[in-house]
Amino acid sequence: MQGNDHSIVRAVLAGDKEAYGALVRAHSATVFRVAFRITGNEADAEEIVQEAFLRGYQRLESYEQRSAFGTWIYRIAVNCALNRVSKPGIEAEYRHGEDTDPADKSVQVATPDADPERVLLSREISAVQETAMQRLTPTEKCAFVLRHIEDRSMSEIAEVLEIAPNAAKQAVFRAVQKLRRELAPLRGNA
Amino acid sequence: MKHLTEDEFTELYYSEGGSAANAHLKACRECSRRYDEFTRSLEQIQLATVPLRGADYGERVWETLRPQLIPYEKKRTGWLGWAGWRGRASWKTAAIAVGCAMVLAAAVLGGRYWERSTKKVSIAQSPQATQRVVLVVLSDHLDRTERLLVQVEHSESPDPTENAQLQSEAQELLASNRLYRVTASNTGDAALAGALDRLEGVLAEIANNPNLTAGDLKRVRNDMNTKGILFEIRILHARSQDQGTKGATI
Repeated sequence: MQGNDHSIVRAVLAGDKEAYGALVRAHSATVFRVAFRITGNEADAEEIVQEAFLRGYQRLESYEQRSAFGTWIYRIAVNCALNRVSKPGIEAEYRHGEDTDPADKSVQVATPDADPERVLLSREISAVQETAMQRLTPTEKCAFVLRHIEDRSMSEIAEVLEIAPNAAKQAVFRAVQKLRRELAPLRGNA
Repeated sequence: MKHLTEDEFTELYYSEGGSAANAHLKACRECSRRYDEFTRSLEQIQLATVPLRGADYGERVWETLRPQLIPYEKKRTGWLGWAGWRGRASWKTAAIAVGCAMVLAAAVLGGRYWERSTKKVSIAQSPQATQRVVLVVLSDHLDRTERLLVQVEHSESPDPTENAQLQSEAQELLASNRLYRVTASNTGDAALAGALDRLEGVLAEIANNPNLTAGDLKRVRNDMNTKGILFEIRILHARSQDQGTKGATI
């Protein structure tokens, strides 16, 4: 796959624009996934996918073929997402442990039964988690998502966020501390 | 017996902990109990389920993206490439190219002459002069970061313009700080590399924060011990100034 990606990149740089389509088709879902996890917003994630592949195309000449194209475009997407959540006025809409219905913004709690008490508790947990995530700084939020959900190593996180490995580690530590502190009241309910 | 900290639990949880922490966890009942509680609390955190994309999602992205892309120009190589270029080039282009080549040749010859005439001096001055330049530049960087940290320490201002200036300064310093940290690390200056590393965390927090408020700065002060970092930077600043003065008198 990696070798194939490299030959596609060479073809694109040689003037075959259409070849880039194969890379977009192969990596769109992964890019969408990480963008959504960082922004927590479907529309923002869709835009980040477009932006990442557009930037990737424009910078294709600087792509060093030592790394896989998937890893490279992933980094670009994380940076786009970080910029997005860092923009003033744009608040990420986090919905934890639940699906949101974009049509009516209603909450569909992921519980198999419709026990009203559980639904209520689940909503309460989601709301507290949402608030806790919003209190993290963009760097902490990004570092935490990459470590906790995307299972990326500290060195990968540092590389993606372009910070020192220790700074990445400290960002994860702070995020964990803050989240645990914010979610402490829920542990009594559990 | 020293019990494990929450940061050490975090490292263990993400499989980045050392063997000593692992061994302690096995031996200490108290830490083992706290770690179980810690693990449960982290497992509780679940982000939103990623909305499903259809199998044709990549195709849809490509269809939207395609019209915005301009094809790369084909690279021409070898004699045929040169012939193709020659065929299209105008006399004006050729004249500019010849002019550039002459300027380049003059620069190379002039450079060689200058290098011969100044070689002795530059060899004699090179290491100390370079060191002085490095110290002056580093000292300037430390001076700027010191001022920024002092501002952070005393910032209570609700004025967004003032905070925006602080943020823009942090963004500038972040890029240069990264270079100094890497250089210090490569040259084995652990004290400087460590301090710059901690400083980088603070700069990143300020630089990447949307709508930086006095409350955010207070949080940075509390969470990241900016007072301690400011102290370290002052010592390093004094050290670099001292080295610079000594270097100048040699």
